[in-house]
Amino acid sequence: MREFIITRFFQLIVTMFIVSLLVFLMVRLRGDPISIMAPPIFNEEQIQALRAAWGFDRPVLEQYVTFLRKAVTGDFGISFFQRLPAMEVVIDRMGNSWLLAAVASLIGLTIAVPLGILSALKRNSLLDFASTALASLGTAMPSFWLGLMLIIIFSVYLRILPSFGALEPKAIIMPSVTLGVGMAARLSRLTRSAMLEVLNQDYVRTARSKGLQSKTVVTRHALRNALIPVVTVFGLQLGWLLGGSVVVESVFAWPGLGRLMVESINVRDITVVQAGLFWFSLSFILINYALDALYMLIDPRIRIG
Amino acid sequence: MLAKRVLILLSLFLILGALAIVPATAQDDMSEFVFAHAGPIRSMDAHSHWFISSHWLTNLLYDCLIWRAPEGGGYVPQAAHSWELVDDTTWRFHLREGATFHNGEPLDAAAVKWNIDRVRVEIDPQIPLWLQWRFVKDTIVVDDLTIDITTEEPHAYFENDVSFNGCELLPPQYFQEVGQEEFIRNPVGSGPYKLAEFSENDRYVFEAWDDYHSGRPEVDRVIYQVIPEPSAQVAALLAGQVDMIPSVPVPDRERLEATEGISLIRETANRMHHLRVRTQAETGAMSETYPGYEPATMDVNVRWAITHALDRHLLAEVQGSAEGRLARVCSYHPEGYADKYADPDVISDWYNPDLAREYLAKAGYAEGEGPTVYFDTMNVRDGGEKEVAEVVAAMLEDVGFTVDLTVRDTAAHFSEISTPGNNRDIMMTSLGCSVGLLPLFYQCSWEAPRYRACDAEWDAVAQAILTTHDFDQRLELWGQWWEHYIEYQGTVTLYEMTSVAALNTAEFDFTLRKDGWMTFRDVKLADGM
Repeated sequence: MREFIITRFFQLIVTMFIVSLLVFLMVRLRGDPISIMAPPIFNEEQIQALRAAWGFDRPVLEQYVTFLRKAVTGDFGISFFQRLPAMEVVIDRMGNSWLLAAVASLIGLTIAVPLGILSALKRNSLLDFASTALASLGTAMPSFWLGLMLIIIFSVYLRILPSFGALEPKAIIMPSVTLGVGMAARLSRLTRSAMLEVLNQDYVRTARSKGLQSKTVVTRHALRNALIPVVTVFGLQLGWLLGGSVVVESVFAWPGLGRLMVESINVRDITVVQAGLFWFSLSFILINYALDALYMLIDPRIRIG
Repeated sequence: MLAKRVLILLSLFLILGALAIVPATAQDDMSEFVFAHAGPIRSMDAHSHWFISSHWLTNLLYDCLIWRAPEGGGYVPQAAHSWELVDDTTWRFHLREGATFHNGEPLDAAAVKWNIDRVRVEIDPQIPLWLQWRFVKDTIVVDDLTIDITTEEPHAYFENDVSFNGCELLPPQYFQEVGQEEFIRNPVGSGPYKLAEFSENDRYVFEAWDDYHSGRPEVDRVIYQVIPEPSAQVAALLAGQVDMIPSVPVPDRERLEATEGISLIRETANRMHHLRVRTQAETGAMSETYPGYEPATMDVNVRWAITHALDRHLLAEVQGSAEGRLARVCSYHPEGYADKYADPDVISDWYNPDLAREYLAKAGYAEGEGPTVYFDTMNVRDGGEKEVAEVVAAMLEDVGFTVDLTVRDTAAHFSEISTPGNNRDIMMTSLGCSVGLLPLFYQCSWEAPRYRACDAEWDAVAQAILTTHDFDQRLELWGQWWEHYIEYQGTVTLYEMTSVAALNTAEFDFTLRKDGWMTFRDVKLADGM
């Protein structure tokens, strides 16, 4: 385990260095932030003065070194538009994104795993067909549309749930269901196919022939192996939820990192974009490391190997 | 065992996230007006940016010396109870006795001086408002309650400019004590509302200030809630969770109008769409980016062909809520000769494709073989830019032009075309109509790459407008100025946009301002509430 942590730590340093370089270059490729910040009545000379005030007149390499030096200490500069430390602006939103991702994942897994297992066990049954149909529907349904439908039903007609914000605990229900349904649809199909593959393996047949109860065979022998690909895809989905649930955050005005990033990209608030991408990348990498550890929990052979 | 472990992990994950949840606002009996703001909202340091939709909020928090009347054409007192022009270049303001900021700090002449000096002097280049405040030569404290503001030369639109972005009065002692960063986190103002709580660019809760000099506002709490999606705004209004949305999508208008307790309210938005047409090759970066390119629009006959090829009434319809205009005159500003350049019949007659073809012939183009023009537009800013640009292109092609239309993401349009001056023949622009700024844009001294249009005679008229205090005399000068504007056709005006908002009229009474500002000092409870 110690070797695992040390290796991963050095991988993390190298990855984050590459990420920092990409982030730095990519946000500049999008265009000049000063062109948005400057009032329309500014002339070229005044725009240059503003550019100098924010340090954009310096050579790119010098800008990058300064950025990197400060980023190491957690200083990503001041948000152009909020005039607060960019890191503070990002951290304010990260909590909400994590919460939404967590609840959506919980919903997604709670639906997907049992449904996938049951579909595999009762292959070609009515339940299997129904779950396949539901999964297709869940995958095909745009989250934007589903979100609006939920708002119309639960906020406009029934008036039992708030349609926006993160002001009260129940405000999370609709955005997390919207995200969770999509996740459940994808993971349930994956769980089903992984289970089907495992159920046909020799060791499962052996377990059954030893007279083990069906429940024991499924949970102790089949599910562990079937979960490996599911966990991998879940990790990718979780990463997407943390940074990419922009549409759902916009529909429900959920104050998360995804919405902040889109708004910041649109107005070229480079410091916030850099801080957000940096933290998003770090979260994504850490999730993947956590999943690596989870593989070991699920399948001891991975630890041995 | 495995299931247990997974469950524990997920629970930990959930708890960590739950720690970050935003606490709910306490429910109480206070009247609460919730406005759905499309966002984004900038800093509460009102001097640090020029974004008007953020100044809507700071207008609740801070007083200015004076303020623009909602219906236009005049000014109302705020921190100053009266003001007068002492001589051609000196304005005197008399402040309210005993007025304070929310923290008890006196709102006196010294505080006003500190504020105006902060925005007018280029001490901090990160405060980009100083250019708008260059008209101020000096601020002189006469006594605790009197301040003189002097200008270099007579400044006709002094009242307009002194009540514009950057006019907000911040408490100097508190600001200097805590610094800008902490001030932004805990702003203190002088307006009728205090900022009770907020999360950046998300939700801003303002609460009525009991000690406001002109009386406590009627509505206890005004909330700006950022809801980016128009359809989600409509749903929130129908659900009774917001009380007003600023811009109702066209397909939802009928439904909202038919909903009991909700009314659509319309008013001019003080914003216009124009085609900025190239008249000088050397302006901006065009000649470097496209060496040797000679825009066809340099020929005034081509510009006249463009203006007569456009059916402004149809374009206004395509935009969704607008009224055709021939010149940059908004209803908010009475000096714009609105009757002449906004008359629907005159605008109908102006649309004349045959005349447009004649102008192209005058410019030397054979029938149906007009010039190729490059037309750049942003996809969306105030609404409908892309769709309108497509129809404009079709109208121009109808009279013989070949149009190369490029639609960019708004930010890309600014950074690639508009700001560096890479516009070639035609560029769509969305602009306001401030009479104090308008002549400046067309003066020879104006150096912003995208707008420069120098003509010595026109320049002299503009200068005279800006320095003439006498209203009648100034109006006459405006007449000359507009004639040249039409003659020159460097800016082909399309229409003035109209705000179509939806309001919960069952609970609130509110009249939209003619300048398009969604600020709610004057929101009232409906009769019987």
